[in-house]
Amino acid sequence: MSPNKFFKHEGPWSDANDPLMCSDTGDWRTKRPVVDKDTCIFCGFCAIYCPIQVMEMVENSHFTPDLAFCKGCGICAKECPKNAISMIAEGDF
Amino acid sequence: MTGKKKGKLTKVLDYLKHEDPFSKGVAFCPGCGLELLLRFIPQVLGNDIVITGTPSCSAPVLLGQNNQSWHTLSYFGTLMTGAAANATGLARYYRKAGIKNTVVCFNGDGTAADIGFGNLSGAAERNEPFIYICYDNEGYMNTGVQKSATTPYGASTTTTPFGTASKGKNLRRMNLALKMAMHKIPYAATATLSDLGDLAKKLLKAKEAKERGFAFLHVFAPCTTGWGYAPENTIEVCRRAVKTNYFPLWEAINGKIRMTKTVKKPKPVSTYTELMKKFAHLNEADLQILQDDVDYEYCMLGGLSTLEAECHIPESVED
Amino acid sequence: MNIKAEAKAKAGSQIKVITGNAAAAIGAKLVRPDVVAAYPITPQTEIIEQISKFHANGEMDCELITVEGENSAMNAVMAASLAGGRVFTATSSWGLVFMYDAVLATAGARAPVVMVNVNRETPGIIAVSCGQQDMISTRDAGWIFLIAEDCQEVLDLVLQAYRLAEDYDIQVPVMVHYDGFYLSYLSEGVDVPFQEDVDRFLSVLNDQPERTKLVPGGKLGCGTHGILGGYLELRHKHVSAMERSKAKFEQIDKEFQEIFGRSYGGQIEEYRMDDADVVLVGSGSMCGTIKTVIDEKRDAGVKVGLLKIRMYRPFPGEAMVEALKGKKAIGVVDRSLCFGFKGGPIYTELKAFETQLDGSKMVSFIDGIANTDITTANIGQMIDATCDLAEGKDVREVTWVSYPEAQEEGGL
Repeated sequence: MSPNKFFKHEGPWSDANDPLMCSDTGDWRTKRPVVDKDTCIFCGFCAIYCPIQVMEMVENSHFTPDLAFCKGCGICAKECPKNAISMIAEGDF
Repeated sequence: MTGKKKGKLTKVLDYLKHEDPFSKGVAFCPGCGLELLLRFIPQVLGNDIVITGTPSCSAPVLLGQNNQSWHTLSYFGTLMTGAAANATGLARYYRKAGIKNTVVCFNGDGTAADIGFGNLSGAAERNEPFIYICYDNEGYMNTGVQKSATTPYGASTTTTPFGTASKGKNLRRMNLALKMAMHKIPYAATATLSDLGDLAKKLLKAKEAKERGFAFLHVFAPCTTGWGYAPENTIEVCRRAVKTNYFPLWEAINGKIRMTKTVKKPKPVSTYTELMKKFAHLNEADLQILQDDVDYEYCMLGGLSTLEAECHIPESVED
Repeated sequence: MNIKAEAKAKAGSQIKVITGNAAAAIGAKLVRPDVVAAYPITPQTEIIEQISKFHANGEMDCELITVEGENSAMNAVMAASLAGGRVFTATSSWGLVFMYDAVLATAGARAPVVMVNVNRETPGIIAVSCGQQDMISTRDAGWIFLIAEDCQEVLDLVLQAYRLAEDYDIQVPVMVHYDGFYLSYLSEGVDVPFQEDVDRFLSVLNDQPERTKLVPGGKLGCGTHGILGGYLELRHKHVSAMERSKAKFEQIDKEFQEIFGRSYGGQIEEYRMDDADVVLVGSGSMCGTIKTVIDEKRDAGVKVGLLKIRMYRPFPGEAMVEALKGKKAIGVVDRSLCFGFKGGPIYTELKAFETQLDGSKMVSFIDGIANTDITTANIGQMIDATCDLAEGKDVREVTWVSYPEAQEEGGL
C-alpha cells in the first residue's frame, strides 16, 4: 500500500476523530455586537437566529457573543425585540 | 440578580437538543442563511445523521480538506447530477444491513430544481427512505450568482443581468415544493429561517415520515451576497417573504396540502423586494408581474389545500 | 483423473444453456449483493430483467433500485458501496456515457463497485450494434477493465471481479466487458457453480481488514477535497493499486481454478503461442473465431498464435511483452477506434512497448465495428497480412478489414 501522509485512509476520506479545522472568523468583523445586560430580557432570539450560533447564555440572565468567531453580521442586533444589542465599529475598541 | 424584567426564553431553543457539530469558524459569509440552516438541522435531528452535499456554497464547509473536516457529521460529498441517487444508495444499504439511519440529502436549488431534478424526482417516485432538503437561495450563489429554475421573475443575476434590453430574469420561477408534493410522497413542506419553530417541527415530521418513505423540505434561505441586502436583514427577508405570500408555509402529507401558516393581511410583494438589490431595477409594472405570479401560486395552493378529495394510499406505503 | 476433473468432482456444478446476459445475472446473484441498481438499455436489458425476476421470486435478497437513469444507477451503487455494501450494476454504451461523471467519482472514491458493461457503439451515430467504443470512451476513468470471450467467462469474470474490486489491497471498481449482441444474446453451455463454492471463493475477503465505511455517527466523510499534495497522494495510491491488481488478478485466477477447475491465465490468455512466429492480439468474442482459424492455419503449417487480452486496464504491458518478445510480426485487432490516431486503441498502446519487443513488427486491424462480423475469412486475411509483414513484405500499417474503401487511393 502507498504511504499515508495527507490522508489516513486509502480513499478521499476526512476523519473528524481528529481535531476539526477552524478559522478565526472573528477577524472578519468590522462591527461588534455589544449587549446591554440590563435591557436584555433573556428571550434568546439573538441566539437562535445567530448563523454561527455563538450567542452564549450567561448566568440565565443575558446573552453574549463569542467574539473569537462572531463575524459581525448584525442579525442579533436586528432581531433583538428590545434593541438591547448595539453594533459598534471595531475601530472604537 | 437585578430586578430587571425578564422575558420568556424562546421555545425554539427546546428543539435544539443536540450539539452543534460544526466548527465555530467556518467560511460562510457574515449573515449567511445557509450557515444558520446547516447548524440548525443536526441540532434538531441529531449528530448521527448522514448528510450528503454537492458542489455549492455548502461544499467548502460540508466537505473537508484532505483528512480534515469542519464538522463531526458523517457526510458523503459528490456530484450535483446524482445527489438523490447517492442518498438512495446509502439509505437502501443501511436498510438492508439493519443499520438505523437518517440520511439527509442536502442541496441547493441548482441541484434540486435544475441539474439534479431528474434523480430527485426519481427518488421521490420510488419513495426512497430519506430526507431531501433543498436550501433555496434562488440561484447559483457559489459560482457567482447565476439564475436557476427557482430564480424569481425580474431578478437580476449574472446570467440574467439587468440591462438596457433586459429586466432581469424574464421567466416565472418554478414551484419546486409543489412539484415534489405532487409526487404524493409521505411528507413535503416549505419552511424558512424566520419561523424556526415551524422549521424544527417540519424537520422532526420529515424524520418520522422517512420511516414510510421520501420526505422533502424546501427551505427558503436568502443570500446576503448574491441578492444584495445588508447581512443583518437575512431573517427580515425571510419574514417578509412569508408576510407577502412570496414564500408561503405549508406541508403536504401523501400529496394532501395543508397551510401551516396563513397570513391574514398579506403585504404587497414590493415590501419584500425593496429589501434587496436584485429587484432594484424593477418599476411598478414589472413588480406587478411578480405580484401576479405570487398571487397565482398562492391561489393554486389555496385551491389544493381545500380539496375535499382524499388520496388513496397504498398499504405498502403506509406500512 | 486430471486436476480439472478432480476439482470439478469436488466442487459440483451444473451445465445450463444460457445467454451471456443470463450468465452475468446469475453471476450477480451468486455473489449475494446487498444493493443492485440498474436501468434498461439494449443489449444489457436482459440482465436486469433476470435480476428482477430473481428478486421477485425471493432468490435474491438484495435492495433492488429501479432507477430513473444510468447516472442514478452508478451514483446509488457508489454510495451503497462506500457505506459498506456489496453492489452490482450493469449498463451499455449510451448508458455508460450518461453515468460518466459518476463513473469517475466512483473510481476517485475507491468504491469497490462491480459493473457489467455490454459493449455497444457509442453516441454520435446511432448504432444498435456491437463495438468496444464504449469501453474505450471510459478507459481513463480509473477502473479495472476485464473482457470476457464467451458466456462462461462472463460468469466467471463477474465472480473474479468481486475478489479483485473488494480486495483490501486493491479497492478499485471493476468493469466486466463483453460483446453486445454476440455474447449478450448468444446461448451456450455454461457451467454454473454452486452457491457454496462461490461463497467459499469469496470468503477470503471476510478475513481481510475492513475497508473504510461510511456509518452513521462514525465521524468520517467521503468525498473530501483533495488539496495539493493530498490530491497527488490519492492519485498515486490509485495508480499503485491498479499496478498491484495485475498480480492480484493472476493469483485470483489460480484460486479460482482450485475451486472451479477453470483457469484463463490471468491478465492475458495465450493460445498456441509457444512456437508461433506471428501473433494476433485480440479481445472479447472475436477470440473464439480467431482460435478456430488459427487451428486451420496451423494444420496448413502456419506458425500463428493468439494473445487474448483479458485485463485491459491496467494495461498488461509486461505480460504482453513477455509473451510477444521475439515474435516476427504482430497483428492487433481492435473493435474500436482511437480518434486522433490512425491505428486502433490497443494497437496504439502496444506500440509504446515496441522497443522492448526485440524487433517484432506491428500492424493494426480494425474490424467488427457496428456488428460487421469478424468472419473466419476476415481473420484469415489478417493472419496472411501479418505473415507477409513477418516476411518483410510491404503491409499497410492500418487496415479497416470490413471497409476496403478505406484502403482505396488516398485512404489511411
